[in-house]
Amino acid sequence: MTRYLIRRLISMIPTLLGVTVIVFLLLRLIPGDPAVAMLGEHASQENVQRIREQLGLNRPLFLDREALKQGDLKGFLDSQYIRFLGRLVQGDLGASIHRRIPIATELRQRFPATVELALAAMVVAVALGIPIGIISAARRNTWIDSLSMVGALIGVSMPIFWLGLMEIMLFAVILNWFPIGGRLDHAMEVRRITGLLLVDTVLTGQWEAFVDAVKHLAMPVMALATIPLAIIARMTRASMLEVLQEDYIRTARAKGLHQRLVLFRHALKNALLPVVTIIGLQTGNLLAGAILTETIFAWPGIGKWVYDAIIGRDYPVVQGGTLLIALVFVLVNLLVDISYAALDPRIHYE
Amino acid sequence: MESSRRPDPSGIPLRRRRTLWGDAWRRLIASPTARLGMAIVLTFVLGTVLAHFFWPYDPKTDLDYSLKLKPPNLRPTAEVPSIHPFGTDKLGRDVFRRVVHGGWNSLRVGVISVGISLLVGGLLGLLAGFYESVPMTPGERVGLTGGVGLALGAIPAWLAENPIPAVLFAIAGGLGASLSSPSRSRRWLLFAGVGALLGGVPALFVSPYTAVVCALLGAAVGALIAFPLSGSLFSNIVMRLMDVILAFPSILLAIAIVAFLGPGLDRAMIAIGFVGIPTYARLMRATVLSLVQRDYVLAAQALGAGHSRLIFRHILPNTLSPIIVQSTLGMGSAIIWAGALGFLGLGAIPPEPEWGAMLGDGYRFLTSGAWWAVTFPGLAIMLSVLGFNLLGDGLRDALDPRLTR
Repeated sequence: MTRYLIRRLISMIPTLLGVTVIVFLLLRLIPGDPAVAMLGEHASQENVQRIREQLGLNRPLFLDREALKQGDLKGFLDSQYIRFLGRLVQGDLGASIHRRIPIATELRQRFPATVELALAAMVVAVALGIPIGIISAARRNTWIDSLSMVGALIGVSMPIFWLGLMEIMLFAVILNWFPIGGRLDHAMEVRRITGLLLVDTVLTGQWEAFVDAVKHLAMPVMALATIPLAIIARMTRASMLEVLQEDYIRTARAKGLHQRLVLFRHALKNALLPVVTIIGLQTGNLLAGAILTETIFAWPGIGKWVYDAIIGRDYPVVQGGTLLIALVFVLVNLLVDISYAALDPRIHYE
Repeated sequence: MESSRRPDPSGIPLRRRRTLWGDAWRRLIASPTARLGMAIVLTFVLGTVLAHFFWPYDPKTDLDYSLKLKPPNLRPTAEVPSIHPFGTDKLGRDVFRRVVHGGWNSLRVGVISVGISLLVGGLLGLLAGFYESVPMTPGERVGLTGGVGLALGAIPAWLAENPIPAVLFAIAGGLGASLSSPSRSRRWLLFAGVGALLGGVPALFVSPYTAVVCALLGAAVGALIAFPLSGSLFSNIVMRLMDVILAFPSILLAIAIVAFLGPGLDRAMIAIGFVGIPTYARLMRATVLSLVQRDYVLAAQALGAGHSRLIFRHILPNTLSPIIVQSTLGMGSAIIWAGALGFLGLGAIPPEPEWGAMLGDGYRFLTSGAWWAVTFPGLAIMLSVLGFNLLGDGLRDALDPRLTR
């Protein structure tokens, strides 16, 4: 297992390097001079110069052959990409162009909000999706199966940005149940411990704030959870149906075991394996979907910040946010791979 | 068909001739959900294509402030003399008309971006899967090793400000793949030495420091291309590149690419097409890997069929089923992603009608009660995606009966 882990970590290095190259090259996709694109055409020459200096735009992209000519090996390697990578290793993502604050600091500030939203959505999706899938498989080809699978198919086809807007219309404008934007009522204040409001309010015993935070969370979570919920339900059903045809299930039934016991003790464990992969893959989509959901619900997380940065052409922020989400995604999938070993005794890692 | 029903001389009546695609079609139309999906997709495709050609619409001149944000009406009134089944938007434009014409853009993005992913990803996956299991011919090895020589040789060539070394490295690669005479250890030395010279000598004209670095690089490249490279190397490189793209959540990478390229439908198509490449590459590779092991492919190989014949006559036609299913489902996701980009203001440039952009336009008026400007474009996205998903699921069951549950 340890050897597998080490090999898996080493095999991640080229992928991670590739990720940094892609994020680095994103800046090159800007037509024309990135500094001018960020500041607008009427920016002063000094400001443009400052940005180019700050982003190292006056250095060559990967290697400096002019420096090599002079025998300056350090200068040869002192390129935009190596600088970018070097800063990255130190946890420095550069600074926002407009607000001139370090991106890493701001991301750390906002990350808990996104994590809270994504985690809550995942919990809802798993807590509803898996039971729906099990029931559908157990009651195959009944009305309840058809109903949940039609629902799941609609969920898979749902543009979450539209669903979010429809929720606002129904629950906020018409019914007035939930507030439209933000994480918490402006009048309330919660001491920051973990950054997750639901946890912090419980820790400090502010129950009123807890209820308010839940109310603010409800609509974005509903929007964000829909797609993973539908996918998990479909996957659980398909996987359960497959497992239920195995010989050992027939044996269990032939022994006269209760249906519930067969379903939950015998079938579910094996059926959940592919579902775990899906959960891992969906985490990435949740984080990326946060850009849309947070924009609609004015949720002060990474997604909203990246959206604002896109609109304001604050490209380093977009780079930083993209990189952070990709890294979290890679990490989650690594965890999923590892958890396989724990879940499935049939898999032996060399 | 008439002839097939004629009894043969033995007197046993022949069964009606059935084809693979005919069977699949019968299974497809036998499923009510697939029929529903097909109906939805056909409605959208026909509606938008007919509207595009026979119901002219010029978004640039479409503007009427007197009709701003009117609710849907099916009968002309004094206040609103024209009929607007879906209401009007913030510029007094008919939402129904814009939804119908927006469909043209959404479907176009879907078709073109799926086309990009399919062509690039499919080709990469096909070659990766094929050469992973079938040994390369000597000619192909020369091509691959020479190509690697060219690509890697480009680095010292760039440093030496001279393109010739890259070409020489390509030739060296070709030689490395075709020669067999010197023994193993001698070849390492020979090619590394030649590589050092190829890299170092032209760089001497630039500066001695450059020459040292280029000689080292050249030696490394030379050592690598001293022996013919195998097809699994190619497959490995391709699949690692795909892994890099897959390390990003697709929609995030698409958003980031368009954020940097600047908004526009064409750019949205490129971005969505790009992030879809790994899906098709992986699917194609997996399919090809399983096909190559089949008896009929082995038989064709044994009969001496060339690689292009193997690929195009025996393998490619059999990859069609999974590719058709994936492309249909891919249309659905491409439409959603295009909508997401449009919603974020990264897709169609106003006043061009596009479903996502219409949502982004209309949602500020939601709190003042203008539900229609948001409801109908979103409903169009949802329904069309549902149609493609239903059709894709139906096609999967129809094309691969073993999977039918």
